[in-house]
Amino acid sequence: MKILSTYVKEMKIASRGFYFYIEIVIALLALLILLVAVKENPDGKSEEFLYNDIPNEVLSALYERDTEKGVMRFVGDTEFKIKAGAFTVLNRDTGVEKSFEYNEVKTVIAKTYQKLNSDTGEVIGKAYVLENEEDMIRLSNNRGTIGATTTMDKDGNFSYKYFLQGYETQRYSDVLYLLHTFTAEDIDTTKDRQITREIGGSGRLNNRQAVVPVFIAFSGALMGFFIIMSYVFLDKDQGVIKAFVVTPSSLWNYLLSKIFVILSTVIISSSIVVIPIMKLKPNYLLFYVFLIASSFLFSAFGLLIASFFDTISKAFGVLYIIMIGLMLPAFSYYISSFDPIWIRFLPTYPLLEGFKGIMKGQADIIYVLIYTVVFLVGGGILLALANLRFKKSLTV
Amino acid sequence: MISVKNLSHSYSNDDKLAVKNISFEVEKGETFGFLGPSGAGKSTTQGILTGLLKQQQGEVKVAGYDIKKVQNERFNKIGVSFEQSNVYSKLTALENLKYYADLFDVPTRDPLELLKLVGLDSRKNDRAGEFSKGMKHRLTFARSMINRPELWFLDEPTTGLDPAIAAIIKDIIRGEKANGTTSFLTTHNMYIADELCDRVAFIIDGEIKLIDTPKNLKQQYGKKLVEIEYVKEGKICKETLKTVEESDRKKIADIIKAHKIQTLHSKEATLEEIFIQVTGRGLI
Repeated sequence: MKILSTYVKEMKIASRGFYFYIEIVIALLALLILLVAVKENPDGKSEEFLYNDIPNEVLSALYERDTEKGVMRFVGDTEFKIKAGAFTVLNRDTGVEKSFEYNEVKTVIAKTYQKLNSDTGEVIGKAYVLENEEDMIRLSNNRGTIGATTTMDKDGNFSYKYFLQGYETQRYSDVLYLLHTFTAEDIDTTKDRQITREIGGSGRLNNRQAVVPVFIAFSGALMGFFIIMSYVFLDKDQGVIKAFVVTPSSLWNYLLSKIFVILSTVIISSSIVVIPIMKLKPNYLLFYVFLIASSFLFSAFGLLIASFFDTISKAFGVLYIIMIGLMLPAFSYYISSFDPIWIRFLPTYPLLEGFKGIMKGQADIIYVLIYTVVFLVGGGILLALANLRFKKSLTV
Repeated sequence: MISVKNLSHSYSNDDKLAVKNISFEVEKGETFGFLGPSGAGKSTTQGILTGLLKQQQGEVKVAGYDIKKVQNERFNKIGVSFEQSNVYSKLTALENLKYYADLFDVPTRDPLELLKLVGLDSRKNDRAGEFSKGMKHRLTFARSMINRPELWFLDEPTTGLDPAIAAIIKDIIRGEKANGTTSFLTTHNMYIADELCDRVAFIIDGEIKLIDTPKNLKQQYGKKLVEIEYVKEGKICKETLKTVEESDRKKIADIIKAHKIQTLHSKEATLEEIFIQVTGRGLI
């Protein structure tokens, strides 16, 4: 009951203060930006990777024709480093999956063409032509963009295989069918000669969804870490911790109630973003368990750091360094080529990976549960240390 | 109610002691004044007795509990009124008291009754952050009574209050004493100690110089004085003379005989004067 009273009191104080609303407002702003400013699917200017299984003389004639028409322009060669990794390609028509696994980085050269608007001459995209289909599929997967193979049969008819990312709508696929069809009557026959494939199965995140794991990780972890410190420094400023210590209630109640307030706000702010964007895709039970465990860890860490300082201004330097350090895994998340081993030891790395998997609806449950336990145990240790530090740092 | 034997404390964990080997006892129902200037060791001693500071050396029993053993239930019997007001500024006066009442395992007093007692009942629904310094102090004082403490720690209970409110606070302390509450009053204000305390201890530089009742101290150290104001050659003169010394007695008689007397007051030595006499130091 004492912890309940303390929690209710803390929620009252939080709801009458500034920090409580920071998280909620940030969540609402993030939702607004994601819905309004971030497109779900790549637009026409995005790059594409091509492999042409066509006799050279035919191919040269096609390029010459397109160049004369002003729809394509050769601009040179581009070198790509294809990362190692594993992925699966699913054939939408047959349902057959094919796995690819690569242990080494590969460097490839692609002929690069600018795609042009024939009326205005405006550059509307880039096409990279690879020497073999496998490299094209790997690059398409690495860069998260569309790939295509063009083949020609003995009768001179072209066939197209598109490698999509999995988040594209059926409408988009249908447009791809229509691109190579001149009359409506031809659609069915042309469709027979086109196969669309998606890389990574159905678990890919679209542009908008891909932001969600980062938001959840840093809103839950870093904001929790920062805001719990703010609450403690407010209490230190008012001297209320001393008043609490001379009651029969234990310091644990005080510290835990602070963590519960953070968990409450983190759950609210995360739900504001996750539910409208991700809808029914994630495993919500796993999501909330992982969210609570990670927020517990970072809140306990915030309490421990707060126990070393009297005011937030004195703590600011340390606070800043820790927050920047914890944000580093976000670079790895967005820049696939930046993935050093040491970054994996930062707690926000498994946090991002865990949330990414959960959001895809393809979470490695064992991975998530292992880190849930790690976060809970780590949080418990940090909380125990914070409890000791608070007792030692009380003054008269 | 309080037993302290050979208590010492160092903030730096070395031989630089803030409290040096002090011993004293406070009886049940007694109001005990712990007097000294800033930095004398008053707050350190009270901090140890209330559990805010860790006991390092000596033996201390408070309300029947050995404070070296962690027993939070002892706070059911203890109330602490801090010198610096420390209430939740974002909670109302009533919410502050209700919340604290929930933290105790014993029947508590009605928060409204306490607010009325300290004259804050009309502001019960106002947030403490909107209160003046004196009002916050009264709220802190009222909160310390929420659990009907058997042992009450009062740190500068009237500091910063206007005389009317200070008088109310002093009346409340007297009322609680009448109900059998033991009080440990820490102050550098000798007048309030003189008014409220059964016994006082003088502490300076971490050492207790003496412990006695204010009456005994005045008898032992005080000198009966007469303060006299008279008109001499058109000017007002003022003298303080000792009634126990023959020369001063003769001088008083001469002044009365030869001059027009403006005021004439008998005066006992104050605790402050005795403190200065005993310790050689002032109270500020």
